[in-house]
Amino acid sequence: MITFHDVTASYPRGARVLENLNFHIDKGEFVFLTGPSGSGKSTLLRLVYHELRPASGEVVVAEFSSRRLKKRKVPVLRRKLGIVFQDFGLLENRTVEENVAFALEVTGAPRSFVRRRVAQVLEQLGLAGKQRNFPLELSGGEQQRVAIARALVGEPFVLLADEPTGNLDPAISREILRLMIEINTLGTAVILATHNYGLLAGRDDFRRLHLSAGRLIYDGSNRGFAPTSDQV
Amino acid sequence: MLRPLRDAVLGFTRAKTMTFFAVVATGFSLLVLGLFALALLNLNTLIRYFEDKVEIVAYLRDDAGKSEVGLAVEELTALAGVAQVNYLSKEEALEQFRSDLGPDSDLLQDLEANPVPASFNITMQPGYRDTLHVKTVADQAAGYRFVEEVDYGREWLRRMDVFKHVVSVVGISAAALLGLVAVVLIASAIKIAIFSRQKEIFIMKIVGATNGYIRRSFLLEGFLKGALGGLLAAGCVYAVTEIFSRRVYSLTGFSDRYYLYTVLAGALMGLVGSWLALSRYLRRV
Repeated sequence: MITFHDVTASYPRGARVLENLNFHIDKGEFVFLTGPSGSGKSTLLRLVYHELRPASGEVVVAEFSSRRLKKRKVPVLRRKLGIVFQDFGLLENRTVEENVAFALEVTGAPRSFVRRRVAQVLEQLGLAGKQRNFPLELSGGEQQRVAIARALVGEPFVLLADEPTGNLDPAISREILRLMIEINTLGTAVILATHNYGLLAGRDDFRRLHLSAGRLIYDGSNRGFAPTSDQV
Repeated sequence: MLRPLRDAVLGFTRAKTMTFFAVVATGFSLLVLGLFALALLNLNTLIRYFEDKVEIVAYLRDDAGKSEVGLAVEELTALAGVAQVNYLSKEEALEQFRSDLGPDSDLLQDLEANPVPASFNITMQPGYRDTLHVKTVADQAAGYRFVEEVDYGREWLRRMDVFKHVVSVVGISAAALLGLVAVVLIASAIKIAIFSRQKEIFIMKIVGATNGYIRRSFLLEGFLKGALGGLLAAGCVYAVTEIFSRRVYSLTGFSDRYYLYTVLAGALMGLVGSWLALSRYLRRV
């Protein structure tokens, strides 16, 4: 479903950020993507949703390959993904309902369908009754749930979460993680990028990809990983 | 099409400050241009008023024969730029003089002979009322044997020519400069408005909006904001024209078409400005 073949990435006028990445993620998998700040986690996710093209190698996401994907097809790819950010990425001048509906409106879905689907997802995420609220009227945890709702409303096959708990306290962070695990059990693959290793406590059976200085130094179960001090 | 229209209208209410700023910037720029155009229009009206007074008077000798006068009238009428040649006989000229004197016409009662000469009064067509064309006709008239003297207000006409030229050069230069300033001001206002929405554009791209979808929303919004600005400018120009005409001096106003063009100009500037400002963000994947 998501495959990286010898992927190297760098920014214009910048040094290499990722080097020779090789891994595959199957349908329905839950993967922790860990590494210290600057290790390339966000860059890896940007390659998945094609905000960045690899300098060499190939990124394959479902039927889309970075080697052949034309610019005008990128929106089509992104509609199959759900993306969540650390700062929630909500539009402050739109209500909760409007923020979530946004993701379906851009696909041209009929209004009646949008309304139904948005209500369903908000209900699923415990946000029923908050439709008319604006983001700033919500707590951090609620805002992140709205962001997750927006990411899920289009029924993506993978949820990409870039430090989704970065702005949340530990209790809310665990709540968000539980929510994502629940989403995963329903069939959506999840790639959760984080440098909050506390989240991984007790998740020994989960798959973990660990980056250090742009290299993938570990790909396996969380249980089997024991990083050295310079790798965290 | 309804959804982008709805989004465009909602965009107004969601970003009230930016909307206000963009509309006012567009309106102000077009207002300044409009007021300048109004001033030029009225200046041209004034020029035309004075140009209508341009007349060549050729005074005839008393021995001018009927047939040679008739022939001269025909020849002069056929010259380029001549609107009309009126022949005034001595008697008619005396009557006109008497009428011009008004209450003082009693002074002419004791005249033994008619001192007023016959004349050709030659008027020129619009576009030919400058020194060059007038002098050509005046010189032609002066060439007849029976023409004693030709008068066309040489010095006044020369000053008029200079004035028209200055108005034309200054008018065009100032209009070009004001137009450029208007474009820069409107483009800046739109750029700032789009910049303030860059997060929205980013989210739209992340959730899978095509560039076309994003453009439609923002361009429509830019079009509407520009049209509103144009409407504001048109309304202000109309108000200024009306108020000035009632309180100070009757101005030549613009036709209805001008007001429509102002709204359309605003809409077009809003549209083009949004396109250019948006392109930068849409170039990124």
